[in-house]
Amino acid sequence: MRAARRGRMLPYILLSPLVVFIGALSFVPTADTAVEAFFRVMPLDPPTRFTGLGNFRALFANSVMLTSWVNTAVYVAIGVVLSVVLGTVMAVALRHRFRLRGVILALVVLPWALPAVVEAVIWSWIYNPTFGVMNSALHSAHVIGGYHVWLGLDRWLTVLLIEIVQVWQITPLSTLIILAALQSISPDLYEAARVDGAGATAAFRRISLPLIRPALAVSAVEALVLSLNIFDQVYVLNGIAPLGSSVLLQTYVTTFEDLNFGGGYALSLLTTVATALLSLAVLALFYRRAEAA
Amino acid sequence: MKNLGIVSRRAGALVLSAGLVTAAAACGSGNGGSAGASSSKAITVAVAYPAPPKALLDQFTKQTGIKVTWVNIGWDDLQTKIAAAMSANTYFADAADVDWSKVGEYQKTGWFLPLNKYYSVASLRPDMPQLDTFISNKQLMGMPFDSSFVVTTVNTKDFGKAGVTAMPTTLSGFSGALQKVARANSMSGPLDIHLATAEGLSTCWYQVTAAFGGQVLTAQDTPAFTSPSSPGYKALSWIVSAYKSGLVPKANINTTDVQGFTTEMAKNRVAAEMCDYSGTVASVYNVPASSSVVNQVEYIPTPGATGVGLNVANPDGIGIPKTARNVAGAVKFIKWFTDTQNQAIWAGLNGPQDVVSTFPLPARLSSFNLLIKAGNIAQASQLAAILKAHAEAPFPNGAPPWYVQFSAAVQTNIHQAAAGQESVQQAVSAIAAQVSQLKSSG
Repeated sequence: MRAARRGRMLPYILLSPLVVFIGALSFVPTADTAVEAFFRVMPLDPPTRFTGLGNFRALFANSVMLTSWVNTAVYVAIGVVLSVVLGTVMAVALRHRFRLRGVILALVVLPWALPAVVEAVIWSWIYNPTFGVMNSALHSAHVIGGYHVWLGLDRWLTVLLIEIVQVWQITPLSTLIILAALQSISPDLYEAARVDGAGATAAFRRISLPLIRPALAVSAVEALVLSLNIFDQVYVLNGIAPLGSSVLLQTYVTTFEDLNFGGGYALSLLTTVATALLSLAVLALFYRRAEAA
Repeated sequence: MKNLGIVSRRAGALVLSAGLVTAAAACGSGNGGSAGASSSKAITVAVAYPAPPKALLDQFTKQTGIKVTWVNIGWDDLQTKIAAAMSANTYFADAADVDWSKVGEYQKTGWFLPLNKYYSVASLRPDMPQLDTFISNKQLMGMPFDSSFVVTTVNTKDFGKAGVTAMPTTLSGFSGALQKVARANSMSGPLDIHLATAEGLSTCWYQVTAAFGGQVLTAQDTPAFTSPSSPGYKALSWIVSAYKSGLVPKANINTTDVQGFTTEMAKNRVAAEMCDYSGTVASVYNVPASSSVVNQVEYIPTPGATGVGLNVANPDGIGIPKTARNVAGAVKFIKWFTDTQNQAIWAGLNGPQDVVSTFPLPARLSSFNLLIKAGNIAQASQLAAILKAHAEAPFPNGAPPWYVQFSAAVQTNIHQAAAGQESVQQAVSAIAAQVSQLKSSG
């Protein structure tokens, strides 16, 4: 009896360090952030005092902050769509065995393995207006007449080019997730479809797509979280200029440059809530379609 | 229903993961942490600088019995760690970097100890011309440990090719000379002014304002740049005009100070630096491995509105955080580190083996004199003369407590004016509005 009880307790005992670890490092700071977001916490203007929605009002009255939210929305839209679409295309291309597949797979994964700062530095050389590869290639191909300054002058071009760097980094993970889902589909289903006269496109639409929807949902949420928290690429490629600023960059600036910790907490809380709601929306979208299908 | 249950559980797990990632990202920078424990016989020094040679640190340990743990952290990261540790009231180091721009902030927050009782300001001032940069409300918040200041440099070979042998002393003469240099050397933009939204752009505005004969803030920390006839307004207008007229390369809209020195000036893509840092001739331009302009670049007296202008001081300093465990040890170390002989040694008095890598110039005039006598630093006497007579603190009352927000507004608005996203007047108004807001909010 005692042995049976001990057996039932074992999973909880084994999990307890993880629960304590996550609780201490995630839930406590998250709860603290949620509370402190309603306080004015500024070392330059002590003492800490309750301010209600004051931090949130200040954030929404700040034009740079609003620009950052809009920019972040664009980063998310581009990031989610491009990484999921490209990830699917690459997964389909890599699904079947062929010569050098392993090498190509390793190359595809490489951008995911590199630190974001390193990638941003690499791309800053690609975008460099004086000696960058992009100008050189486009000029050689007669697409542009002269060398261009790509970043910092046009807002949407800047946002697009920065997000391309992030898509380059996050797409490999989407590819791997979707590839794993594709490879778990029984070949018998495709064989049956082929016998019934279905072509490759119909098989993809009717078999692959419905069955990889959970993987697409995970990829979309992963891309959403990473795009919503874009920082390194923006900071390295565009500094703190409002033109391409993101919400997380503003969180850093507000907290550690302006020393407005209350504002930083409020912004973190908003970002957490936005991440949760948008993730739910993405999941609802994918799973509703899955059920409808 | 069962499916929906699974869906909702999965959704819940995913949302939780997403939230945790966000929360972790938000809290990620706050882990400051301690750099190591200090006993009464040990201190931890955290600066954005390489350590002096081990043999010399060992000498300090032998003299005092204090063992030094040197932590070299990148400048930006260091500022974040200091802010995180001090706001959490936790130990960080016994001696740490005090940037000139943080002096007002540290004085107001009390994050660093005033050093007046350990060092005599009156006796140090004649030998340390940049000491005032580290004084806020009469409190000495840090000791300068180098004498970096902003200075103009030119490529004499490029200027010579254009027939410019006597260096212009006025900004209009400098612009005219640069146009000749551009034509003679087929350069599209001969002057480097770094316009990326970074601290270097703010510093450059203070420098050009000094060249026009003024400062950007008054002694009461109010804007001194709103009138079109003020030096600050003229300086901002001059920078924007230099970029728009093609005197500055178009690519510079996203170039930082260091990029300007290493990839523009050192590679001879430009022929002059308006806002260079003292020490770069030796540490950047005369390094054959990374420079194509070895022995071609010289410091010149900064061209001003009507004659030679002033130079803005931006030295590095070291102070004692309020949470230091070994204050007495830190005081001894700072005295040793900023001592006349050692300052000269860091700059090369004993030869390259004892140099502190990237060290620009000594903080003390007496150290300069040792170097001039030894004759082993390029243009040492000229730099000493600039330091003594022309280098001034960027602000009359030291950097205000809200300097960082002010600087962010400065760099953002000058960048936007140069990029054509707002006019000079709009940039000036936006910076002035930020000053008013910062002053009113304390």
